[in-house]
Amino acid sequence: MGGLELLKEPRWNPLSRFGLTHSFFNIDYMTVIQTWIVLLVIILLLIPIYFILKRKPGLVHFMITSFVNYFVRLSNQSLGRFIFKHFAFVTSLFIVILMCNLISIIPGLEEPTKNINTTLAFGLASFFYIQYYSIKAHGLWEYTKEYFRPIPIMLPLNIVGKIANVLSISFRLFGNIFGGVIIGSIWFQAIGGSVIFETVGILTGINITLLGFFGLFEGLLQAFVFMMLTVTYLSIELQSEKPQEAGEAT
Amino acid sequence: MMEIVEILHFITISMVTAASSVAVGIGEGFVGLSAIRAINIQPEAKDEIQKTAVLGMALVETAAILCVTISFIILFGTQDADKNLYFALSELGIAIGLSLSGFAIGLVSAMPARSACLAIARQPFFGNKIIRFMLIAQAMIQTPVIFSFIIAIFIKSYAVSATTIAESLKLIASGLAIGLGSIGPAIGLGIFGKTACNSIGINRKSYGKIFTFTLISEGIIETPIIFAFLVSFLIILYQASTLLIAIAMLSAAFCVGLGTFGPGIGLGKIAAAACHQIAKDPEKYSMLSKVSILAQSIASTAAIYALIVAMLLITFTK
Repeated sequence: MGGLELLKEPRWNPLSRFGLTHSFFNIDYMTVIQTWIVLLVIILLLIPIYFILKRKPGLVHFMITSFVNYFVRLSNQSLGRFIFKHFAFVTSLFIVILMCNLISIIPGLEEPTKNINTTLAFGLASFFYIQYYSIKAHGLWEYTKEYFRPIPIMLPLNIVGKIANVLSISFRLFGNIFGGVIIGSIWFQAIGGSVIFETVGILTGINITLLGFFGLFEGLLQAFVFMMLTVTYLSIELQSEKPQEAGEAT
Repeated sequence: MMEIVEILHFITISMVTAASSVAVGIGEGFVGLSAIRAINIQPEAKDEIQKTAVLGMALVETAAILCVTISFIILFGTQDADKNLYFALSELGIAIGLSLSGFAIGLVSAMPARSACLAIARQPFFGNKIIRFMLIAQAMIQTPVIFSFIIAIFIKSYAVSATTIAESLKLIASGLAIGLGSIGPAIGLGIFGKTACNSIGINRKSYGKIFTFTLISEGIIETPIIFAFLVSFLIILYQASTLLIAIAMLSAAFCVGLGTFGPGIGLGKIAAAACHQIAKDPEKYSMLSKVSILAQSIASTAAIYALIVAMLLITFTK
């Protein structure tokens, strides 16, 4: 009944002939292919947007620019000033996660974010990005010293605290999307058997409500939360005790 | 023997639905009360307040609907051949986990709806945005019960293969971790959501800032629940070959469940205080949000300790 079957995905183990049979080396190829399809969809969306932006302003032009402006405002508010690199990173993170969450509205495709490996990859990407710019802003020495504060004994706890951020950010996305997928699949399994139930489901709008709430709304919300938390962690890491120092380095 | 199995089986089914329905009933009652009060204050905004109350109640009911779904799955999805003592004991894990979190969420997710009704009474021309805000705040509060739902589905699939008392205890521990772990953060989320809706009622010009602040803060307040989810996930994945390991898992569940209780409430209170200040003085948003997030990250350290100890208990017990 649900649950376990959803976690079992077809796996491909390219290194098994070399004796590496640990599950770490497995590849969930369906998830990878779905992620590629998401990237393809984004590229296909970007091509017309490029040509629309080149022509003279219209409604679609306005919508695109206001979408971008919203994110510019948002990153300004959190980071204090406009930094194109960070803005580009968090916005593209948002778009990719959003598309991953919403791709299931195309029949036959499933969300790549219902696999823990995908969300962990997003979490690690944002984590390493933040750490890289933190080192760049404070220098390696200052960055290392942060781990020994307030007393040197705190070193393991500080490291665990950083890793806990990655875990929490990726499990939040995974849990919400996976929960939505389970609920949807249980509902459609329950009504799937009979024509009467399916008609009732469509006519009363339960199908639409379930898909709309758990698919579209939660997907949008969780993508936004992921992005906001990344920006916030970034702004915390970039600020230092002496504000002018951080301003110079970035 | 068979009677005990049946009693445990049906107690699970009834407890899950009953606990969540009681809480959801009380919560919806309070939403209705606040709606009537709000209409009393501002009779002109009757339609808006009614809409808010109905939408708020619909979202409060999510917890009860999820619990009823699980009850149906257990009732109709169990073969008679599977029923034995270990299966019935494992199902108690579902009962504990879902009823605790369903009870907490049912009571708590009504709090934003209550203050949203009163906020609309203050700001009748700002109703649409307050409704949208309330919906997002409430949708974030549903996360713990969704997590418990996932864990319940896992326990249901593993319960069939439980053949020893240790494995049953393992599954009970997993339910206990997510059930206990979601109470504290749920209360925190409720306190914060209430204050956030209230703050928009105080100062509607701070809407944009409070909106982003709410998303960040509710994300951070949820962190302890995610730790509890992680621990119960780990408990399910690990084998409990001896009774000692099962007891260690039970103590890990208590550790993470009780250890996230305080941080959850504390995080909610920190964020609520900051939100109130932002409504009073939106100009100081960037300073207030940074201080609040720093304070939250320090307060959530306690939850991280609980997580570490729980994970050590699970992985290192031989």
